Amino acid sequence: MSVMDRLTGRKGADARKTVTFGDATEVRGAPVWSVVSLLFLGLVWWWIKRGPDPIVNDRTFPSMRQTWDAFFEMVDIGYRRVGLWEHTWASLWRVLKGLVYGVVVGVPVGFAMGLSNRLRGIFDPIVELLRPVPPLALLPLFIVWFGIGEGSKVNLLFFAAVWIMVIAARAGVLGVRGSKVHAAYSLGANKWQILRYVILPNALPDIFTGMRVALGVCWGTLVAAELTGTTTGLGAMIFAASKFFRMDIVVVSIIIIGVIGVSMDLIMRFLEKRLIPWRGKG
Amino acid sequence: MKDLKVDGLGMVYELPKGGSVQALQDVSFELEAGRLLTLLGPSGCGKTTLLNIIAGFLAPTSGSVALGGDPIMGPGQERGMVFQQGALFEWQTVAQNVAFGPRMNRRKRSETNDLVQDLLSTVGLQGFGDKAVYELSGGMQQRVALARCLANDPEVILMDEPLGALDALTREKMQGLILKLWQETGKTIILVTHSVEEALYLGDRLFVMAPRPGRIEREYELPFAEKGLHVDPREMKASPEFIERREELLSLIWEMEEQIMGHEGGMS
Repeated sequence: MSVMDRLTGRKGADARKTVTFGDATEVRGAPVWSVVSLLFLGLVWWWIKRGPDPIVNDRTFPSMRQTWDAFFEMVDIGYRRVGLWEHTWASLWRVLKGLVYGVVVGVPVGFAMGLSNRLRGIFDPIVELLRPVPPLALLPLFIVWFGIGEGSKVNLLFFAAVWIMVIAARAGVLGVRGSKVHAAYSLGANKWQILRYVILPNALPDIFTGMRVALGVCWGTLVAAELTGTTTGLGAMIFAASKFFRMDIVVVSIIIIGVIGVSMDLIMRFLEKRLIPWRGKG
Repeated sequence: MKDLKVDGLGMVYELPKGGSVQALQDVSFELEAGRLLTLLGPSGCGKTTLLNIIAGFLAPTSGSVALGGDPIMGPGQERGMVFQQGALFEWQTVAQNVAFGPRMNRRKRSETNDLVQDLLSTVGLQGFGDKAVYELSGGMQQRVALARCLANDPEVILMDEPLGALDALTREKMQGLILKLWQETGKTIILVTHSVEEALYLGDRLFVMAPRPGRIEREYELPFAEKGLHVDPREMKASPEFIERREELLSLIWEMEEQIMGHEGGMS
């Protein structure tokens, strides 16, 4: 397959396949068309803001130029006396804390639910009742319980992450093939060794998938978490800016959130390939 | 070396919708140490159930199994197990898989390393120790499974259709390897198979099992495994006495299959 065929996503080029519609191995995307798609978005953005009397005014949506300038203004002098990197770092730190707590609590609970009927019975109603609750709905409670500062924010992100981790870890435990466990017992392993050397590594791919999903959800909950009680963070920046109709700053924040979200997922995928090369090979 | 004694084994599975299935009924036999027993029979004859009871993964509803006089109450490393496929640990390398048993027993790493290298060359995998198991072909994976099982030096090796997922050529090669290991280690082996030819070729004792209720229908003492160590396997399998036995067993099993079909036809 030539490089050009790969970039444009031409199907069947290397194997000379004649049937490609519905063949999942033939669908890998087309970078050229991704670039075209981005350029098209840019073009639409430019088109709605062109001329002295644009279709969309500045109070509704900023121009590319304004956004660009706002970005560098924020890099140089920050927003509301806090640097852009500080805002970004504050948000990133909250998300990572929420995720780590979610993993630390969620994985053992998920394991317990996958290993014991009794614990499954105990945790099932808690997990199933709380899982569908949108984290934002709990913000008033969390502010009362954990204070208006960092506590309520990190706990909100923890709440967003933990159910995902519970369910991922449980699925990982339940996905272990019986013959692997049997083989390990026949080789002299005790219960603890089964857990450590068979069930845990077998569940790692699912746990990793859970972390990827949880990271995305935390990042999406972040803005809600930073709604009140802080002057730092990308979410806080969006709310502050929106009060003054600084749509350029709002858009810059949105783009940063999006780019960091994508980057973190790419990092997770890279780590997954390095740390769990056996995924799907069992 | 320890003999295996199976006494009056019965196994009843309760069905979720009510009713029950007699998977095994009054199965008794003694297997002297160092024999290679093959279990053959149509699906539902209880051969895998029997193997799982001996392995200690299932508790029988009646009767008992003892190895060297000690009753079997659960899985143990004196009874090694080789599964059809998918029982290797894909997160470990080939060598780590083979070293799993000794490691669970907290044996010294230096000792284990030599043992692993020995076992890998025994099964013809020298130089593959650092490979990931999923990089190997199905036949090579089964070689790893054999080596892993041997690492704990079990009294009995239980094999549940170990070659069932392999292509015909690889299968023949692996049959040769199993015979070789049997001769070199002198271990007791019980091997479950669907293949009449395999059961005849490998078993120096053979049980044909029948379903409803699962039981031992016929027993054979066979010369082929012993001879197979010295004679070319293709020649052996083409010999008149082998073919005669094969046809005899095939018609026996065909008969059973037809009875099952008739039975099921009558029920519907």
